[in-house]
Amino acid sequence: MKFIHAADLHLDSPFLGLRHLPASLLAQVRQSTFDAATVIFDRAIDEHVDFVLLAGDLFDRAEQSVAAQAYLFQQFTRLQDAQIPVLISFGNHDYLADQHQTVAYPDNVTVFGAEVSTQTLTLASGETVAVSGFSYPQRWVATDQTPGFPEHAATDWHIGLLHGAVSTGGAADHYAPFTVAELLAKRYDYWALGHIHQRQLLNEQPPILYAGNPQGRAITEAGDRGAYLVTSEAGQLVPHFFKTAVIGWAAPNLTVTTTPTLTDLGQQVVAWLAANPAGLPTLTALTVHLPQPLSGADAAQLASGDWLALWQRTQQRAMRAANRYVIAVKVVAAPATVAAPQLDAQYWEAGAASTFTAANLQDLFGKLAQESVLADWFTRPQTASDLETAAQQKLAELMGEEAHDHEA
Amino acid sequence: MKLKRLTIYGFGKFHDRTFQLNSSLNVLLGPNEAGKSTLTQFISAIFFGFPTKKHLELRYEPLDGSRFGGEIAFSLAGTDYLVSRVDGPRGGKVTLRNTTLDLALPAATLTHLLAPVDAQLFQHVYAINEPQLGTVFTASKQELVDRLRHVGAVGSDFWLQQAQQLDRTADTLYKPQGRKPTLNQLLLEHREVTTKLNKANASYASYWELLQQQQQRQRQQADLQRQLVVQRRIASQYDQQLALWPVYQQWQALATEPAQSNTGFQQADATMLERLTNQVKAATATQQADQTQLKSLQTQQQLSPLFQDYLLVTAQVDPLLARLPDITIADRERQRLAGERDGLQQQTQVLEQQYATNGQMPRTFSLATTQQVRQLTANLQLATQKRRRLQQQLNQLNEQYRQQQPTRQRQKNPLADKQIGWLAAGLIVLVGAMFLPSTFFKLVGALLGVAVGYYGVFIVDSSTPASRQQQSLEDDIRDVQAQLREGGRTIEQLTSQLDDIGDAHGMGALPVEQWTAAQEAIVTWERLTQRLEAAAAQLATAEQTVKQFTAAVQAALPAVDATSLATLTAQLKDLQATQQRLQSQESDVTAIAARLKRDQAAVDQSQQAVTTFLQTRNLRSTAAFYQRYQRVQEQGSRASQRTALAQQMGETQLAQLKRVTSRSALAQKTTAATSKVTALQEQLDTVTTQLATGAGQLAHLTASGTQSTLRQKLANLETQMQAVTQEWLVNRLVSQWIAATLAAASGDRLPQIVKTASQFYGKLTENRYTEIELTPTTLRVRRTDGAWRSVGQLSRGTAEQLDFAVKLAFAVVMAQRVAMPVVIDDGFVNFDAQRRQAAYRLLATISTDVQVILLTADSLVTETLPTENLIRLTD
Repeated sequence: MKFIHAADLHLDSPFLGLRHLPASLLAQVRQSTFDAATVIFDRAIDEHVDFVLLAGDLFDRAEQSVAAQAYLFQQFTRLQDAQIPVLISFGNHDYLADQHQTVAYPDNVTVFGAEVSTQTLTLASGETVAVSGFSYPQRWVATDQTPGFPEHAATDWHIGLLHGAVSTGGAADHYAPFTVAELLAKRYDYWALGHIHQRQLLNEQPPILYAGNPQGRAITEAGDRGAYLVTSEAGQLVPHFFKTAVIGWAAPNLTVTTTPTLTDLGQQVVAWLAANPAGLPTLTALTVHLPQPLSGADAAQLASGDWLALWQRTQQRAMRAANRYVIAVKVVAAPATVAAPQLDAQYWEAGAASTFTAANLQDLFGKLAQESVLADWFTRPQTASDLETAAQQKLAELMGEEAHDHEA
Repeated sequence: MKLKRLTIYGFGKFHDRTFQLNSSLNVLLGPNEAGKSTLTQFISAIFFGFPTKKHLELRYEPLDGSRFGGEIAFSLAGTDYLVSRVDGPRGGKVTLRNTTLDLALPAATLTHLLAPVDAQLFQHVYAINEPQLGTVFTASKQELVDRLRHVGAVGSDFWLQQAQQLDRTADTLYKPQGRKPTLNQLLLEHREVTTKLNKANASYASYWELLQQQQQRQRQQADLQRQLVVQRRIASQYDQQLALWPVYQQWQALATEPAQSNTGFQQADATMLERLTNQVKAATATQQADQTQLKSLQTQQQLSPLFQDYLLVTAQVDPLLARLPDITIADRERQRLAGERDGLQQQTQVLEQQYATNGQMPRTFSLATTQQVRQLTANLQLATQKRRRLQQQLNQLNEQYRQQQPTRQRQKNPLADKQIGWLAAGLIVLVGAMFLPSTFFKLVGALLGVAVGYYGVFIVDSSTPASRQQQSLEDDIRDVQAQLREGGRTIEQLTSQLDDIGDAHGMGALPVEQWTAAQEAIVTWERLTQRLEAAAAQLATAEQTVKQFTAAVQAALPAVDATSLATLTAQLKDLQATQQRLQSQESDVTAIAARLKRDQAAVDQSQQAVTTFLQTRNLRSTAAFYQRYQRVQEQGSRASQRTALAQQMGETQLAQLKRVTSRSALAQKTTAATSKVTALQEQLDTVTTQLATGAGQLAHLTASGTQSTLRQKLANLETQMQAVTQEWLVNRLVSQWIAATLAAASGDRLPQIVKTASQFYGKLTENRYTEIELTPTTLRVRRTDGAWRSVGQLSRGTAEQLDFAVKLAFAVVMAQRVAMPVVIDDGFVNFDAQRRQAAYRLLATISTDVQVILLTADSLVTETLPTENLIRLTD
């Protein structure tokens, strides 16, 4: 018995956190989610797996991607030709409801309904496999669905297919919250999880694991991405990870001992690229540690992104050679010893206390709250703290600037 | 900080001028253009730098071309410093010395020494002049507040500036109502892209629609294809039917012929008859051929008529022929027997002639007789032999005697000659006896001859005398001769005995010597007689056989020449030889004959078969059969033609055609079917085209990448937007933070400042206004009657007094930290006399805490103020 467990294909969804990419790379990026998924399906066909489990978020329903649907039709047909069944439990992104989807997937594809149900497969080897799962009927499933999963069926194997997140007990548990203990209590042979993009083993044996997404789409999704080929070995199901990503993400650190000018910084980055070529085309967000902050003008130029844009244009060859594309250069400097601007820290603290309040932030954000994209970002819990941190940095810069001014 | 001395190298109208200042109140008196503002500017310039050359009017470069710059000696925290500044880059070249320790200090130290006071703070707070006070009215409320805050907190000016800068930057990033700022533009773009994406997303619906359509069309296509196949089949069937119509008609025409029984007249039957006829023909032909061959052979062999006859009756003749050797033997036997018989008769006759006496043959001796005879004969013989021996002896003796005679006697033997004569005489007698008539005489004669010869030879000879021993010899001879004589007697005796016997047996005529032979002859004769009888009997049998054979042959072959058996045999042998000769050859006539016979049989048989064949069909001749057969054949061929036609048409087609009423109906149906096919094909083509178009559209939708591109663009845009928003927010927040911090920082001193300012303001306004209230956004004053007045409601002078009061209050309150002298440059222009006096008094009061440099054109100042240090600029 052999099957593939994949999740969170997020076909045709854009890469996040990018401001500018050259056209060639953009094409590659656009194709990457497909290419990564194709690696999975190719593997399925090459290995003659018995079936393929897709634990949700194959695509983003809201994005209404034609390419994603067309791709799935094409690949499912491929798998059908290879007589490989596909079992899908839709997740929070590709939830069931779609008034548009008028054509069903090929016959080899089973999409679980909103209620937990069980599909039983009889494999070529004669083994029987029960797969239990459900699909999200809408974006959120706030209730724990595990009670709906049956006990281990009278089959050789029983596998749970679940798109969800471990329960935190908080209000944000709207992704079919579950606990590992609950899953273990079902005595299944394997729990194929989806939703968390970072692959993760919640339990060794029986395996309860997130396959992770096959293609990272943001700098937060660095590291190896892929899916699992699961084989039966001595009465147990053993997952074997295989890489699928066609574009990598990396956020390396670069420490520079002397505070450079931007030109020097550019060269340092080029040197770093030459010394650290990547296997996959990798979107690289560099954090450069400097002993002292850049000069005000340099910092401003860096902050505005103009410098990076210019650098990207001029250093294309170096980036190509290293198979990396530098998407961001962030500078971290030890805070300058600030000649106190004659204002006691207590006043700054008092000022911060009155400034960084939710009400003030909300007030300041004002009309922008109408922009859903920004509102989403703004309402993220860490945004406020991010803002505060950024403000502190900014202030620190200003203080440094002040110091410089005095020196001048 | 106290300024001690101002030394001007060259600045504005001043050059090489020194002003000594005390630590409290200094009054510098001068009319307009005496250089009061120049001095204010000088202090600012030396401490904070020359303005850039862009602001030439503020630089106060010396008009007379003396060295630009000057120096200020000041004390700060118990230490004396001297700072000088001359023209140079970036605000001028600064030299700083710690004069207490006589230590040169880096220029940068100056900023730290002055901190937190900078040019702005100095200009705004400490350098008080009418235009500065006047700004109160032109400034916005916010500026007023800022100013107050600036006054309220040390270094706040920088921060306020930063805050303003941040706000300005923030404004370039985003304005809620703006269009140009980055974020506004981004938002606009985002909206546009979103619209585009929504438009592109419409393709999602179209995609599904298309997909569904495609599926429907595929089904439709399959359906149409199926229909088309069916319809094509129908049409082609009609076509075929139409094409088959003539065939069908032909078939129908053929169908009118009535059926007839054909049994016995099938192809097989014809074949059979053919075979049979052929057999007859073949047999006849073979027979004829064989006959011809036989004839040719016969001709070739020149066979005798007899043989030809024979060939016809071989069955009868052959056994005869087989017997021929026997017959020949029999014949030969017969001949032999005849010969034997003749021989025997002859022998018998000879014997009879020889021994028969009077035709009577002597009797045979009995055994005893024979014995006796033999004894006698033997005795006789012995006697004879004895005599001969004696004779011989005698002869020998005679020889010896003769040898003893002289040679001549020996040469001449008269006795020998005599012997020959005897012999000759005996011979003559013998021969002569042969001519005697009777056998007996002959025999006697012969015997006589022999006797004569014998006598001559032996008897005479025995009398031959011997040789010189003649005497003895003669004795011997005599003795022998005696013996001889005796012997002669014996012999005679014996002979007489024998004669007796001979006479008794009829053999008296025969000499005894012949008796044995005669006896033998008699036995032979008797035997011969017997044999003769047997031979005669055998002969008769043989002759009988031969006769029978001959008769049989003659019966079989009448043409045979049966004159003699030899001829017959010869003929038969000839036949046999011929036959054998023919047999030995390849083209054996017999074989041919046999074949002929077989041929004949075959001919008969086959003819019989033909006859039978015809009879079973009630026919008289083969011709009749063939006639009938022909008819049947024709009928058959029509049927088979019909079958072939039916086959050509096919069962179903035929069935279909049978239902068709007329050709025109069929043609109509065909046309209808064809047009239906065409219609279906058209539909199919349309659907196929639609499918292709749909596939193209789908491919286009799928491959366009518009959605992806837009989505990625949006994502990038959103990233940018978030970044900009964050930047904007950070700017705003930092600005707010600064404001809040300033508020907090000034919050401590503000009450003091406000309180002090209130006092000062009261003094300046002769207690018309008793209280100043400062809120984060507004400033107002309370009159003595308790009514509140906003700044806008104050008169220009009163407002300036308010500002003055606040500034002084600030300088006083902050004096511990910021010991900057207050430089007042004709600041009381709009003050009435009383209030100006009050102001002077106030200045005098505060000068204990703060160094005051009052530059004024008002000479009355000396009336009010103590003038410990009055400098007249005009001096």
